[in-house]
Amino acid sequence: MVNFTIQEVRALMDKACNVRNMSVIAHVDHGKSTLTDSLLSKAGIISAAKAGDARATDTRADEQERGITIKSTAISLYGNLTDDDDIKDIDQKTDGRDFLINLIDSPGHVDFSSEVTAALRVTDGALVVVDTIEGVCVQTETVLRQALGERIKPVVIINKVDRALLELQVSKEDLYQSFSRTIESVNVVISTYFDKSLGDVQVYPYKGTVAFGSGLHGWAFTIRQFAQRYAKKFGVDRKKMMERLWGDNYFNPHTKKWTNKGTHEGKELERAFNQFILDPIFRIFAAVMNFKKDEVNTLLEKLSIKLSPDDKEKEGKQLLKVVMRTFLPAADALMEMMILHLPSPVTAQKYRAETLYEGPPDDEACIGIRDCDPKAPLMLYVSKMVPTSDKGRFYAFGRVFAGTVRSGLKVRIQGPNYTPGKKEDLFIKAIQRTVLMMGGKVDPIDDVPAGNILGLVGIDQFLLKSGTLTTSETAHNLKVMKFSVSPVVQRSVEVKNAQDLPKLVEGLKRLSKSDPCVLTFINESGEHVVAGAGELHLEICLKDLEEDHAGVPLRISDPVVAYRETVTAKSSITALSKSPNKHNRLYMIAEPLGEEVSNEIEAGKITPRDDFKARARVLADDHGWDVTDARKIWCFGPDTNGANLLVDQTKAVQYLSEIKDSCISGFQWATGSGPIAEEPMRSCRFNIMDVTLHADSIHRGTGQLMPTTRRVLYASALLAEPGLLEPIFLVEIQVPENAMGGVYGVLTRRRGHVFGEEQRPGTPLFTIKAYLPVMESFGFNADLRSHTGGQAFPQSVFDHWEILPGGSPIDATTKNGVIVQELRKRKGIKVEVPDVSNVNPLHVPLCNHILTFVLSTTTSYKRIVSFLIDFFKLRCTSVATRHVTSGSQISRPFHAMITNHGPVASLV
Amino acid sequence: MLYLIGLGLSDETDITVKGLSVVKSASRVYLEAYTSILLVDKTILEKYYGREVILADREMVESSSDEILAGVQEVDVAFLVVGDPFGATTHTDLVLRARELGIKISSIPNASIMSAIGAAGLQLYNFGQTVSMVFFTDNWKPASFHDRIRENRTIGLHTLVLLDIKVKEQSPENMMRGRNIFEPPRYMTVGQCARQMLEIEEMKTAEGEGKGGVYTEESLAIGAARVGGKTEKFVSGTLKELCDADEALGDPLHSLVLLGRRTHELESDYVREFAVDKENWDRIWKRYYDGEQ
Repeated sequence: MVNFTIQEVRALMDKACNVRNMSVIAHVDHGKSTLTDSLLSKAGIISAAKAGDARATDTRADEQERGITIKSTAISLYGNLTDDDDIKDIDQKTDGRDFLINLIDSPGHVDFSSEVTAALRVTDGALVVVDTIEGVCVQTETVLRQALGERIKPVVIINKVDRALLELQVSKEDLYQSFSRTIESVNVVISTYFDKSLGDVQVYPYKGTVAFGSGLHGWAFTIRQFAQRYAKKFGVDRKKMMERLWGDNYFNPHTKKWTNKGTHEGKELERAFNQFILDPIFRIFAAVMNFKKDEVNTLLEKLSIKLSPDDKEKEGKQLLKVVMRTFLPAADALMEMMILHLPSPVTAQKYRAETLYEGPPDDEACIGIRDCDPKAPLMLYVSKMVPTSDKGRFYAFGRVFAGTVRSGLKVRIQGPNYTPGKKEDLFIKAIQRTVLMMGGKVDPIDDVPAGNILGLVGIDQFLLKSGTLTTSETAHNLKVMKFSVSPVVQRSVEVKNAQDLPKLVEGLKRLSKSDPCVLTFINESGEHVVAGAGELHLEICLKDLEEDHAGVPLRISDPVVAYRETVTAKSSITALSKSPNKHNRLYMIAEPLGEEVSNEIEAGKITPRDDFKARARVLADDHGWDVTDARKIWCFGPDTNGANLLVDQTKAVQYLSEIKDSCISGFQWATGSGPIAEEPMRSCRFNIMDVTLHADSIHRGTGQLMPTTRRVLYASALLAEPGLLEPIFLVEIQVPENAMGGVYGVLTRRRGHVFGEEQRPGTPLFTIKAYLPVMESFGFNADLRSHTGGQAFPQSVFDHWEILPGGSPIDATTKNGVIVQELRKRKGIKVEVPDVSNVNPLHVPLCNHILTFVLSTTTSYKRIVSFLIDFFKLRCTSVATRHVTSGSQISRPFHAMITNHGPVASLV
Repeated sequence: MLYLIGLGLSDETDITVKGLSVVKSASRVYLEAYTSILLVDKTILEKYYGREVILADREMVESSSDEILAGVQEVDVAFLVVGDPFGATTHTDLVLRARELGIKISSIPNASIMSAIGAAGLQLYNFGQTVSMVFFTDNWKPASFHDRIRENRTIGLHTLVLLDIKVKEQSPENMMRGRNIFEPPRYMTVGQCARQMLEIEEMKTAEGEGKGGVYTEESLAIGAARVGGKTEKFVSGTLKELCDADEALGDPLHSLVLLGRRTHELESDYVREFAVDKENWDRIWKRYYDGEQ
């Protein structure tokens, strides 16, 4: 145990090259928190005896009860390398033997993966924990992908090796093969997301970036450790030894030589890994578990393991634990692996600066981050809020990327919507206190320099969930985090006693702060809605709300699904809408944006903050856009960053810029609550085709144009074969072969679609992958349990949006029409979807009718157009009129109207 | 028959004799009350006309005109407009809708700010395009008026600037939520107008390429308050001086005239009487305006 004081930590913080910020990430139940505990024993926070059961990072009562991690928790550890060889092996700059490790334990359940995102942002390295038996699971892949996206270097520990030995009784070679397969699947994921700046970060046991062990028993080893033991014995270089201890390397006892052939004179040779590493471990297991006391003693002597007299008295698993923990302490292996192979902030921020920072790469803020300079202007990212013991207040948890933060420092608090030079989403306030986060406890600390993780007191009320803190007036934001999950499951809440309402409102505010992903809002009918990533996430959030944040009894509705509204075709005709004073007209066409572009926007690859020329290039090259169109994207929506675009396709309209802001407001409004059921829109592209404006700016203000924009967007969407999108989960189910039938039955009943089935080699377990509509997922887990005798373990994570089958949502007689009507009823809005003619004078069936009629009487399209103009009392823009009268070309709105209708299209 | 009746500029007695007789005999009387306001209250109008007047706000005129036009084929309806019915703000749309319904229309003109501004002492012949000045917000500063003023000044014409009034407006947020909550009335003053004009000039100059230079802080202008009323007031001076002339001008409604260089000595003598600083007026007049015609 190491004595560990705040002063020591503070001194270490100044040596940024000796700091390691890392997250522990994995699939649920692969043993992150337990493993973290064994590390804590080393740093002296909890005693060694308790390691393995305490789960010190699971600070909440429900985390302890359920045995899962819900919130990510940070702890600082003190590490020390005694061996000079170890120091030499660190391939980055170091200063002394003392190291500070800031470790964040994160939840493994997919519903909480937004917590993982928040943890990854503030760390540079990740310890990926993989279960020996279950191997790489869906969440392992997700978190690994997230980590690589943030340019975080992974190391791997294969956990629960004890289970393989005790429960499955595998042979040495089988175990080696299983290790090898798992590492290979990790590397497949890593190489898929290869990033040039980060370099090759695949993990190899012979390089020491993979450890094997058991968090529960508190032991682990790396090949490097064994190589050190054997290097002397064989008189070879340690590095060479490491390579020999993995892969197809054999020691031939007959020739006393190393070889890479597996046979000698027809006899099988034992693989070096099995012979030198697994063999002692297998022998210990066999001796202890078979109660062969004598053999145990000889082994202990041979391996020079010294036990206390108390421990010697133990038997069975207890003895095994003590022996293994003394033989191969987990903390040693993990500390060594982390210190040796994970980057320090100094190293990491060099390549992370450009992905972290939104501004130009050569301003003072970015240079400060790149150099991890404690004297540069402060750049601090707050990634989440942690509740304090003081109800309703939060610690802002974050990382200093540049400069030094101290109590009392006046900082600019920039929220996610802040743009440099403007005052929106900006506060200038002093930091009350800076603290060090230690599991459930906090310790005050005077100041914290660049490269470290900390908590801040007194800024929670100025930030919603996350944001940038800086002292530079010109600094841009640090990049806003993108979450891999979205809040697709909703439940509405109401108070049981009316007088509690203010408490609920306050509680909802607190809930929204305390969780990076949860969404709270009030819908049209005045219901308070809480939206979460999945049933479990929502359940935890609502429990917190009821018991903690609001503290009042609540009535909670059944879960409902958040839909998205979209269009599936181009508007059949151009939609037109006039402003209330009738002097301004907008012409609009809606069309599908395309799944690829929408996904890229949602993944943060195409953003409103990109340089418009670079963005246009990407849209043109990768997605077939017209470059000029792509350069004239006015905005993204809803919330200025959603996957709907407003594109200016007008030509030579004067003073268009004066109405741009009003149109953008109307666009945000319309895309935030669409025409069908006031659900947000997704994947729609709106093209402004033409605009007529009043000559004087007083008659074209926001009051005139904002509602007009909304109406014309609605009309164009309704004319473009609108559809509803429903969220789809990707479910991964681990199940033994005999219970598979039950799984298929449940999936089929719930509109599930299986697309993958795979047996985990060496086990009777199958992994089934399927898509399952979120709507059908309520009660899925319970259903699955009852049909498989509790043998199936599902994990669901939001994967994509899919068109809801069942007819047009605007036709009340179809299945979707009924869903829409129910949605509207629930929201307290008029049950009927607005008819196009309500918002648009160009009624489709009417147009068709007229066109057919006109066709029978005339063959000149010039006359058709003028007839239509007369009929609809439309006044065209001067451009349009000129085209119509000259007959050279028909104005765009009418052109579209005519070409989109069969009988006329042949004429033109 | 739909009668569009001008009410003139200041109080109830400004209505024409012809207009008054229609008001007295019409079956319904609407008062359009959002593009401009009279200087007296609606109750005073009702007392003078001896009948009830229905207030028509923007919402009613723009979105539910059917109510106004209901049954007008058979009966007479008077639609009262402050100033002249086809003056600064056009009600052509209402007329168009009436025409569609086959309603006959008659309009009774009256004084408008467009003509009454002559009282400031500048010849009406030499006015160019009229522009409006809206309340700027942090991110909405329409500058198109600047181009109109440039066109006027290029050929030496005066510019009448009409100032924004917000009598019954919803904030964008309330509009989105569909709440009928209206902001308190606001009227732009000459001072604010002058400041906004200078702001845009500065912005345009900064843009370069000869976009600025239309007018300067020293350009002469006249601020007018309650034109046509008993308390009518004019203040003249440079744009800079007018920035601080709100106190001298007093209550709304305000308008502003930016002088063109096509001026007459008589005009100067007349306007000089309103000057904030007469010596400064003379100095600037001599330097920039005298003999430029």
